Amino acid sequence: MVNDPIHQFRIHNILGPWNIFGLEIGFTNSNLFMAIIVAVIVGFLLLAARKGTLVPGRLQSVGEMWYGLIHNMVDNVLGEEGMVFFPLVFSLFSFVLVANLLGMFPYFFTVTSQVIVTAALAMFVVGLVIVVGIARHGLGWFKLFTPHGIHWGMLVIITPIEFISFLSRPISLGLRLFGNMLAGHIVLKVFAGFVVSLVALGLGGIIGSLAPLLMAVALTALEFLVAFLQAFVFAILTCVYLNDALHPSH
Amino acid sequence: MARSVDPKGPNSESDPKFGDISARLDDLSTRLAAEKKQTDQQESAPKQYQGAADYSKGYRLFSEFVAGILVGGLVGFGLDKLIGTLPLFLIMFLLIGFGAGILNMSRAANRTPPTPEELAKMPKLRAGEDEDK
Repeated sequence: MVNDPIHQFRIHNILGPWNIFGLEIGFTNSNLFMAIIVAVIVGFLLLAARKGTLVPGRLQSVGEMWYGLIHNMVDNVLGEEGMVFFPLVFSLFSFVLVANLLGMFPYFFTVTSQVIVTAALAMFVVGLVIVVGIARHGLGWFKLFTPHGIHWGMLVIITPIEFISFLSRPISLGLRLFGNMLAGHIVLKVFAGFVVSLVALGLGGIIGSLAPLLMAVALTALEFLVAFLQAFVFAILTCVYLNDALHPSH
Repeated sequence: MARSVDPKGPNSESDPKFGDISARLDDLSTRLAAEKKQTDQQESAPKQYQGAADYSKGYRLFSEFVAGILVGGLVGFGLDKLIGTLPLFLIMFLLIGFGAGILNMSRAANRTPPTPEELAKMPKLRAGEDEDK
């Protein structure tokens, strides 16, 4: 069917599947777009940094703003000692941003609309918080779950709440990105589908289709903004969570 | 963009390109015009995107809350499955998850991280500082 709004999220094998250690693994359209995303990021940044002039040209300005935005973010939230995480946060932000933006092209696959991808990114971040926290502070890191200066009787209730709150981080981090991208793309597709069905009705339908057409145009603009905002929110929450690994006491 | 209008730019002096005074004046006026255009755009942008920014903020708080309840319910259900006391831990951890959701939301609302616009306005990274790291 032409306007099946879910069709765009279907994963299919491009190459394979091969039998690797008893698992059916193929090269899917999702894999293809992940490779394209990495190629776009590396290609763009190399192109932007190619000249390296003191007064930046247009391309170099974009590259410097991209770099400077994340540099300022890490510097602000994590401080000087958190700069070791800058390459990680920059990579995460770039991957999510380019994945979201590439998804805005018609017929392109949106990698971040797959919950398994966003969940893997979020799990990796929170797993890193645990590993770095314990490596830096030893068992003292678990003070994160016992807020300072609270009566011991309250700790019985507060500690499980803090624990569940910590566990919910990867869920909210991954679900938010996934939900925003999925919902946005479905809504766009549905409104575009309205236009097609209404036009088929004849003259009255063509006039009536103007409203969903305008809506689809407005939604496209909104989706571009959401694509950037969600990448930004993902990066800044990564910084905020990594801050707990460096300074576990509230 | 903001870097090129920095008056203390490292190339404002002793650069052979800017030796001629009229060339420098021309350059200054184009840079000033670019800066003015940029600030005009920045002032008009927030109004246009206010709805989208609020929407994303609301969605953020909502997802924090739902995630708390979801995880609480899952942990409770898992414990029950292990021990075999089905409704007991599920109910307990759903309540704890509710508390965690509220805690998540209040944290997310109080700790407002800087917006992209604020970060862009902050002083740019100090040149030459990262080269030796």
